[in-house]
Formats: sequence, C-alpha cells, structure tokens
Amino acid sequence: MKLGIVLGLVAAVAFAQAPPRPQPRPQGRAGASVDLTGYWVSVITEDWRWRMVTPVKGDAASVPINAKGRAVVDAWDPAKDEAAGAQCKAYGAPALLRNPTRLHITWADDMTLKIEADNGTQTRLLHFGGTVPAGEAPSWQGYSSARWEASANAGSDGGLGFILGGQRATPRSRTMEVTTTNLREGYLRKNGVPYSAKTTLTEYFDRFSEPASASSPAAEWFTVLTMVNDPEYLATSYVITSDFRREPDGSKFNPTPCSAR
Amino acid sequence: MRSNSKAFLVALMLCAAPLLAQKDIAGEWDNRFDEDFLERIPGPDIGDYLGIPINAAARRHAESWDASLLTLPEHQCKPHPSDYGIRGPAQMRVWKEVDTVTQQLIAYHTHIFWQAPERVIWMDGRPHPPDYAPHTWQGFSTGKWEGDVLTITTTHLKTGWIRRNGIPRSEKAVITEHWVRHGKYLTVATIVNDPAYLSEPFIRTTDFVQNPDQQIPAYPCEAVDEIDRPQGSVPHHLPGTNPFLKEFSQRFGVPEQAATGGAETMYPEYRQKMKTMPAPAKAAK
Repeated sequence: MKLGIVLGLVAAVAFAQAPPRPQPRPQGRAGASVDLTGYWVSVITEDWRWRMVTPVKGDAASVPINAKGRAVVDAWDPAKDEAAGAQCKAYGAPALLRNPTRLHITWADDMTLKIEADNGTQTRLLHFGGTVPAGEAPSWQGYSSARWEASANAGSDGGLGFILGGQRATPRSRTMEVTTTNLREGYLRKNGVPYSAKTTLTEYFDRFSEPASASSPAAEWFTVLTMVNDPEYLATSYVITSDFRREPDGSKFNPTPCSAR
Repeated sequence: MRSNSKAFLVALMLCAAPLLAQKDIAGEWDNRFDEDFLERIPGPDIGDYLGIPINAAARRHAESWDASLLTLPEHQCKPHPSDYGIRGPAQMRVWKEVDTVTQQLIAYHTHIFWQAPERVIWMDGRPHPPDYAPHTWQGFSTGKWEGDVLTITTTHLKTGWIRRNGIPRSEKAVITEHWVRHGKYLTVATIVNDPAYLSEPFIRTTDFVQNPDQQIPAYPCEAVDEIDRPQGSVPHHLPGTNPFLKEFSQRFGVPEQAATGGAETMYPEYRQKMKTMPAPAKAAK
C-alpha cells in the first residue's frame, strides 16, 4: 500500500517534469540560428582534378553512374552544348556549390535566402515554406525548399524517457536543410557526367567557427553535404561535402559567364 | 521498505535531470567514397600535391619520399594517424563509455577497419597533457558539444601524413574536427593546423553512412622481410633525383608548377593563373 502511494507520488513528480512537446521552429530569417549571409570562397582541397580543370572525356571517377549515365558521359560534346545554348549545364544546383566559386549569400526577403555564385553567374533562391509553383518550367537551379532542421532528438516518443524527462538536452539545430527539384537536366562535372530532370537534390548547410591559433587567424566555415538522388543516371545516391570559408568582403567576387569547356 | 521506496523516488527524480550530451554518433558507420576515391583507395600519384597548402619544407619532404619505404618491416603494420584514418578504408564503430554510477558520458571510442586503430575522445572535460607527453598515432583527443555538432581537438600526434605520397603532417599539428550527423549520414570536417608544414589551415570533409548490420573484419598484420636490403637501408630520393615527380602532370595535363601545390592552388582564381603556365611536356612513350 505504502509502495503504491510512493509510486503514485513518483508518477506525479515524473509527469510534472516531463518535457514539453517541442514547438514548431520559426522558419526563414526569424528561425536562423546561424548566419550564412556574406561572401564565401570555395576551398578546393578534394577532387581537385575534377573541379579546377575540365576532366578528360570519359572520366567519371568517384561518381556512381549507371550504364545509361556512362553512355551520356561517353557522348559528351561541348560544341553541341554550345550550339544548343546549354553552356550552363555544369552550373545547375547539383553542381554549383562543387564548382570553384565565390558566393554572395543574402536574404532576398524574410523567407527567401539568395545564393549568388560568381562562377557562371548563377542565382539560387532557397524558399522557406515554399513549394514548386504549378506550371513552373524546370531550370538549372530548380526550385529549392529550405527549412531549419528539426533537432535529431525527437525524444522517446511517449516512452519512459518522455515520462521521466530523462532526455538529453535538445539543442536547436544549426543546420539548414534544402531540397531541390524541378531541375533541368545537367552535368555533375564539366565533362558531361550527367544528372537528369528526375533528380532530387538534398543539402545540409552547417556552420563552424575556428578560433585563432598560433599558426592561423580565426576563420568561419560552412560545409554543405550534398546528396544527389537520380533514378535515371545514378546507381545509388551521390554524396559529397564541399567547404567554404568566409571572406572579409566582396572584392574577389567576380561574376563570369558559363563555359561548356 | 520505506527507506527503499524513498531511495527509489530519489533515483527516479535524479533520472529526470537532463544529461549533457547531444546528437548520438554511436553506431556502425561505413565510408562513402564519392570524393577523392582514386586518392583514398588505390592511392595518390607521386608528385600530386594539388589543393594542399604545403610550404617548401613539406614539398622537399614529399619529393624525397619513396613508396618503397612502406615495404620496411617497421612501416608495414602502422595504422593511419587519427587525422587521416577516417579518409582511408574506414568502416568505423563508435561507442560510448559512460560512468556506471552517474551515467554521464566519459568518452567516445572509435575502431577503424584498416590496421584496427582504436581512439579515445575524452568528453569529461579533462585537459590535454603537457607537450612532453608521448605522441601517438591516435593522439590525445577531447570533445565538446557545440549545439548539435561534436567538436574535437587533437594534439600529441606522431608525425603523420596528409596525402599518402609523402606530404607530411608534423607532430606539432593541432587537429580540429566537427562531427555532424544528418539522419543516417555522418560528416566529419577535419581542419589541420600545422606550423611546420602548412602555410594555411587545411580542411577536408569525409562522409559516412550508417550501417547497423556492419561487421568490421579483423585486421591481422604481421611484418615480414619483403625485400633483402643492407642493414639500415631506408628507401628515399636525394634532392633533385626523384625521377617520378613529373609523371602526374604529364599524364593529366596539369602544369608542373601547379602540381607542386601550395595554398594558392586551393582557390578559384588559380584557374586563371594556370592559363599562363606552360603545358607539361608530353610523357615519353
């Protein structure tokens, strides 16, 4: 009997301490827990030979293309792309942030983050809370829906941890998640490694700050985890991460046109 | 009975206190090799230093490096240092060490397939040891959560490598890592600060995918005499005598000057500078 009373008290205390259900996080500028605005430069320390120079025809190393993708790689003809006015095929959203480029990121409005890339003079608009407008034609940059990532700690979903509140402190995620569709067919690499119009691009933007050390000044970085899912030309998802360092100003931001070669 | 019930009540109330850890990174992780596959698995070309902010000392070190060094018995079973290990064949297990009484996180441990190195990332706030403490392949790592990002600082590493073609990383280096999990993907951003061999910090990012059913194979390694050599012989190239250094640039058409690396090769504007450089000589057939 006494034990029952104690357990009842325990339950009362426990429920009293149960964590509140998380509230929906504000989106857009109001929900930002990191500042991605400013000028950034891509730091090319990976895949250099496939990014800083146009790779030789047929070289699709590291990209999980399928047989159909291989056929497109082997048929790459930049002159044909130029004749078709498709010089920007290697500057679409799945490739843009992998290119050697500088970025200027600003809020176009409270719910739209704008990314301008100087290499190819391309602009991406990341829409918080938006969906692809009906009838919108596919484009190099497609339509990007953004959100501040919900915390991975969804809680114990009604289990004892939820009742007792013995849950790890749930931080506010500092990640921006972007999903892009409605893409025009393009290239993951300049030498014609393809992605199709069926592609779904998922990206996670993360910010880091490095304090000054004995050998280097303080620096701010963002990385973007890029996942390309293309049922047409890829055998599995293509997963890469690209790195950007903040620049003090836009003095090196130098817009140049697309080039097919 | 009464005292037992009170103890139970107190224990439950203690359980209700939130713990200080964030996203969980424990589990089985498998490599993704969608970037730098040729460098990471078959291995880099001799003379390819592109995209690494090396200084002249590092370049001299790399130019004197001979791959036959790896056939010496004392080099055959060495693991990758912790700042390179995740870049190689790195099926990885991460597990937590938790205090059995307080249930507070003490450390993360990692095990990697290739050469089976195990590493400790201390999460209990302990300081790094003094400079004179031993330097090891895995170094001394401490971690802290910054929001939902695990930031790790590593010191006390033995001299290691940034690229497996002789580009060195010194024992003076300080490594910062940021481990970020997104669903079933884990990304590790590694930043190397090395006052001895780098003129700028070097960053690269490595991706893993969760694989709960992964069984990491054992990695037995036994050093043997692969090549008969005179006692004390160490494969190397004296300055100016390495005949292989230009093969990479000739094979891929990269200007010889560019292939020697350095900080400026990391930035977009270097593409313009390369246009002013002579094309590499054709390789002899």
